[in-house]
Amino acid sequence: METLLDFARGPLFRLTFIIMILGLLRVLILDIYGAVEAYRRAGDKRLDWKNAIIKTLRWIFPFKSAFAQRPFYSALSILFHIGLILTPLFLLAHIQLWEDGIGISWWSLPHFWADFLTILTIIAGLGLITGRLASRGARALSRKQDYFWLFILLIPFITGYICANTAISPSAYQAFMLIHILAGELIFVLIPFSKIAHCVLMPISQFIITLAWKFPARVDDKIAETLKKKGMPV
Amino acid sequence: MRTIEITSEEREKAFSTVKKPEVIEKQKLDVRYHVEDYEVRDRPRRFLEAFAAILKHTNYRFALEHFVRVSAKCSRCSVQCPVYQVTGDPKDIPCYRSELLLSIYRRHFTLAGSLQGRITGKGAINDAIIEEMAESFWNCTACRRCTLECPVGIDHALITHLGRFILSEIGIAPRALVVSTREQLEGKTGNTSAIPVPALVDTLEFLEEDMEEEKGVEIKFPLDREGAEFLFTPAVSDFLMEADTLMGIAAVFTATGGSWTISTNYYDAINYGLFYSDRILERVIRKLYSESVRLKTDSILIGECGHASRSAKYYVPVHCGGENAKPVYNIMEYTYRMLQEGKLKLDPGIITEVVTYHDPCNIARQGWIVDRPREIIKTFCKNFVEMSPNREENICCGGGGGTVSIDEIRPYRTTVGGKAKADQIRATGAKYLIAPCANCKKQLRELVEDQGIDCEVVGLHDLIYKVIVFDKAHKKVTSEKEG
Repeated sequence: METLLDFARGPLFRLTFIIMILGLLRVLILDIYGAVEAYRRAGDKRLDWKNAIIKTLRWIFPFKSAFAQRPFYSALSILFHIGLILTPLFLLAHIQLWEDGIGISWWSLPHFWADFLTILTIIAGLGLITGRLASRGARALSRKQDYFWLFILLIPFITGYICANTAISPSAYQAFMLIHILAGELIFVLIPFSKIAHCVLMPISQFIITLAWKFPARVDDKIAETLKKKGMPV
Repeated sequence: MRTIEITSEEREKAFSTVKKPEVIEKQKLDVRYHVEDYEVRDRPRRFLEAFAAILKHTNYRFALEHFVRVSAKCSRCSVQCPVYQVTGDPKDIPCYRSELLLSIYRRHFTLAGSLQGRITGKGAINDAIIEEMAESFWNCTACRRCTLECPVGIDHALITHLGRFILSEIGIAPRALVVSTREQLEGKTGNTSAIPVPALVDTLEFLEEDMEEEKGVEIKFPLDREGAEFLFTPAVSDFLMEADTLMGIAAVFTATGGSWTISTNYYDAINYGLFYSDRILERVIRKLYSESVRLKTDSILIGECGHASRSAKYYVPVHCGGENAKPVYNIMEYTYRMLQEGKLKLDPGIITEVVTYHDPCNIARQGWIVDRPREIIKTFCKNFVEMSPNREENICCGGGGGTVSIDEIRPYRTTVGGKAKADQIRATGAKYLIAPCANCKKQLRELVEDQGIDCEVVGLHDLIYKVIVFDKAHKKVTSEKEG
């Protein structure tokens, strides 16, 4: 068990973390490359950058835009995102791992707040699952992965909370810790290949859709030629 | 979650169809709008060919790639969709509609998707999906409200726009739009309403006489004047249906001494291409632009019409030389400027009734023209009430995206598409509903009639015509002429 844990905490962590970083870089670069190509082809290169920036900021800090509609659901979603981002980054135990591994460390959350955020994230996540199941519209939209993600994201939070706060036998502790780490690593690996890639892609969305309406100049003939419709009436 | 209720009777009426079963059978297309006969065999293959050709030559691919990666299916857009709020049918949720096309893109145009598809044997395009898209993409009014609400930034309207474009390439597009466009690009009259030049000239002369009688001022529609500042083109249907709007515009130009002209060679700003085909969009834009080049005007001025303004403003630069292209303005921009410069005087004592303003989606959603019309209205109208929500977040009239021109779906437009708008209008208690858009006006008139709302739908310049004040110099010209 001990060796398994060490393996999961050491080499496997490094591997999956690198996969995540490289994978996210890949989609980000592909996206930006696509945008640059589109910009190069656009017939009109003047873009409303200001508007795109405002809209982007409005959704990165959605405290105003989100609450105009469905305030309860918005609150759940925002809390869930805050918990997902802050807790793993600023948990003392995680920072210590970084310090032991490569010698860097940063500010950590006080224990109470870490616990509070963890529980909040779990409650928000369960709320989001319930919301998805309860609303007919959301149910119709949801794919398997949409439920899967809510579920898998909660595993490290639940197991982490158990390990940090309950008096359990050492072997049970190790088992929960292993699940905690492996689930986290599974998440790392899957992020770049799934909708969670929006963690890096979402900030460029508004630029993409601003640019997407700038079509290339004079494509009528080219499309007609490819489809062998040239000279055909409307 | 549905928030707007309609009766089951209304529902039945809205979804009824006037199409004959044998036509539906022959065209293999159970949609409410009419379609011209087209090749029904092999639709899926031809759809993919059209899709591939469009991806090859346009800029859609990078946006689709992005959407496929970030789409989180959170269902937030459902609260903003006026159609879904009425039907409550999950198929009308913007994200659901978009997924129809995104899943085909993923399955047939990405490596991961095609591998997965081959392994599972699922998700390939078929006739049923094409039929669903043909219905779904035209249930949408392309109002783009959902785009405001998407946290990850998916532009559902862009996907609907592309979906309609691909469908049109295999022959599936509303007949009403295709027939009009054919007349505009290839017909004798060269405009979507098939108005011949003599009829145009007669109409304008008649209006000039009317205006002189009513206002005591000589107000002209200058025709084919080379070198004018503005080439003025309204939605051509205005010449038939919106005489008051045109008179208001002519009056503004006369009072402000503006240099403008209407071309008798081409006088239609309507661009249905924005609604169903980028190829058509491009051809209409080029036709409009070449007319302004021929008459050597400094710029192009579009009348009270949302989609015509948006398509000209955004696609003249795209197809006619980028930032070097001649500028495009909407008439309200001109009128506002004249008001600012003190060249236009409006009498605040004439209109005492309650007035409200409808933002046409195509000029308001991106925040282009929202405050200027309000500033104009407030100078002559004391009783101005806002609808809520408004400006960039306005609610569509229910006839957007070209659906207003499809007469056979009027019950759908006035009970489903326009229901949210009807409730908004009723809440204001307005006597005048200003809608500076030819499409919105037609839809809103049908809407207030079908919904039994006591309210008159007008253009902004219709009211300006009533309140415009001419100075003595103008009156003198006329009296001298009479003398």
